[in-house]
Amino acid sequence: MNVEISDLTRRFGRTRAVDGVSLQAGAGVFGLLGPNGAGKTTLLRMMATVIPPSSGRLRLLGRDPGSYGPRKEIRRRAGYLPQNLGYYPGFTVAEFVEYFALLKDMPPRQVPRAVAAAVEQVGLGDKARARLRTLSGGMLRRAGIAQAIVNQPELLMLDEPTAGLDPEQRVAFRALLRGLGERSTVIVSTHLVEDVGAACSEVALMDAGKIVFRGTPEELTARGERTGAAGDAPLERGYSAALAAARSAAAVRS
Amino acid sequence: MNDDELIAAVAAGDDAGLRELFSRHAPWLAARLRAVLPAAEVEDVLQETFLAVWRGAGGYRPGGSGSAGGWVWGIARRQAALFLRRRGPAELLLPAIDAGGRQVADPAEAAVLRAELAEAVSALGPAGSPSREAWRLVYVEDRPVAEVAELMGVPVGTVKSRAHRARKQLRAALRRREPTPDGGGR
Amino acid sequence: MMTGGHEMPSDQESLAGQGPGPGDVDLGRVWLGVAAQVWRRRPGLAERAAGRLLRSPGLARALVTTPSLLAGWLIATAVVLLAGLFATLGTGTPYVPLLAPAVAGAGIAYAYGPGIDPAWELSRSMAVSDRMVLLARALAVFALNAAMGLAATAASGAAAAVTFGWLVPMTAVCALALAAATLARSANVGVIVGLAGWAIVVLAGQSASGRLTAVITDTALVLPYLGFAAVCAAIAWAATRIPRGTS
Repeated sequence: MNVEISDLTRRFGRTRAVDGVSLQAGAGVFGLLGPNGAGKTTLLRMMATVIPPSSGRLRLLGRDPGSYGPRKEIRRRAGYLPQNLGYYPGFTVAEFVEYFALLKDMPPRQVPRAVAAAVEQVGLGDKARARLRTLSGGMLRRAGIAQAIVNQPELLMLDEPTAGLDPEQRVAFRALLRGLGERSTVIVSTHLVEDVGAACSEVALMDAGKIVFRGTPEELTARGERTGAAGDAPLERGYSAALAAARSAAAVRS
Repeated sequence: MNDDELIAAVAAGDDAGLRELFSRHAPWLAARLRAVLPAAEVEDVLQETFLAVWRGAGGYRPGGSGSAGGWVWGIARRQAALFLRRRGPAELLLPAIDAGGRQVADPAEAAVLRAELAEAVSALGPAGSPSREAWRLVYVEDRPVAEVAELMGVPVGTVKSRAHRARKQLRAALRRREPTPDGGGR
Repeated sequence: MMTGGHEMPSDQESLAGQGPGPGDVDLGRVWLGVAAQVWRRRPGLAERAAGRLLRSPGLARALVTTPSLLAGWLIATAVVLLAGLFATLGTGTPYVPLLAPAVAGAGIAYAYGPGIDPAWELSRSMAVSDRMVLLARALAVFALNAAMGLAATAASGAAAAVTFGWLVPMTAVCALALAAATLARSANVGVIVGLAGWAIVVLAGQSASGRLTAVITDTALVLPYLGFAAVCAAIAWAATRIPRGTS
């Protein structure tokens, strides 16, 4: 198991952005769905060791990120694409990817080839030496994905990776995800439901800091059948149905 | 962009141009090299070839159709010869051949030239066609013209002209692949 | 003799563009090998030396990309100090020791942080931690500014007390700028606070003793300066902890 989370909570002031989440994930592509503000980004940030949990147990790649040494080792083997990734405008795509490869402590001899592989994998092969300031939003996003995968991470956290990508690029991205999911744990957070349906082996639906559904995309789709839930596509309907069910259950409880 | 423009772009530092050149030319280069080298070594030689293209694009002089291909092949051939030479003479049991009128003392280069020759011969036509047969019987098997005429069932004059034409075609085909001293094709 | 290939079909053109090559040759791998060499960046001498010294190529790379260590910034710093030097040579007032701490403080504030690092969030998830980067950059900026300042003051022929005396206040100003920048998560805030703090101190010293350079040469101030610097450094250290409460 690359990710072992039990009863994880993160508070900001008095709000609980993540509220008692428990999760386990091995190799494969894992989708994290939910409306804006559900806590997906906060959960991902905790897994990227950017912020610590307020309470609960978190183990990543078999290690406890609370201590310096293990946290550094986790970071060497992880990849993270934040929701808002800034860019150094004067860097080229290759320089950008290389910068973070070095900051992830990759041995310098391996770096040029790893950078080339990552840049080609995201389809930026003919833009490798173009400056970031000349790229479109979708290309910048792909450069961000490239830096996340350059060290062939065992644990990959992607927050809204398809923002700005056109449909053809999304297809290529899903294929990339499937390939990565064969060896590593890939966690993709998105509010675009159909986006991940095809690539994920498992999805979790978050709302108000809690996980309200956990299962395969087919199971989520099944939730939406015969319920007349909102949505243009099967997975979307399942998503709406599960969300509605969770909210009404919460209303009943309180 | 045609090949000449691509190479000029590469000379100006356009790595995307190199990528395009690679996608156009690597397949046939690989096929030709594969005739002489095992797959793993073809990969190494091909990599060195395109790095040499990257570094040396400034030395290319455009010269008509096919000259870019000839130039690249010239680089690939030199890289292959370098590679074979590095591997040591014990690996090479290939006799030197006279290809297109040149004496080749270097067995490494000879091995690569044999691939060229084989391909040029196949350009004469399919095995069994008049030109190919004439070439084979007269020059490879070294039979007297009269005997060949009897074997092929044609007059001696026809045999002579077919053989002569085949030799001319072959020489031309091999010359086309050979780069001129300044790096351009002929 | 045939003169050339114009009449013959060009084999190269007909072969090129034909599908993938021989089945057992991995052209994708070959291209990656080419691209790795064509796209690679070759670090300069300073970066390679720093990498060996710090035993971390990543830290070295972060160091040489410090905004306030880039050529433009260093040139601007040199210009300011030179202007101070010429002013000193012209008027006799030692401007360089007054300017150097201010310039260094600004440089420290622009060393790192959310104010100027657009990829701040990502940097906080790196194995070479953002705190290490900040520490290395701050020290490098300080050392470089100190060296430049010393060269300028020595050239202006000032007394020894003035030549070295400003290093201590410079430490304090830098620490103040750093603390402000990391607390406010803004390099600009750091610069403003650092410069303002120093200006206030200098003017207060002048109004108290009549000399502009009082705050530099008064040895009684050394301990307070250093104490203040230590407190600011602690604040900066705490501000760069993995955050607990806020966001």
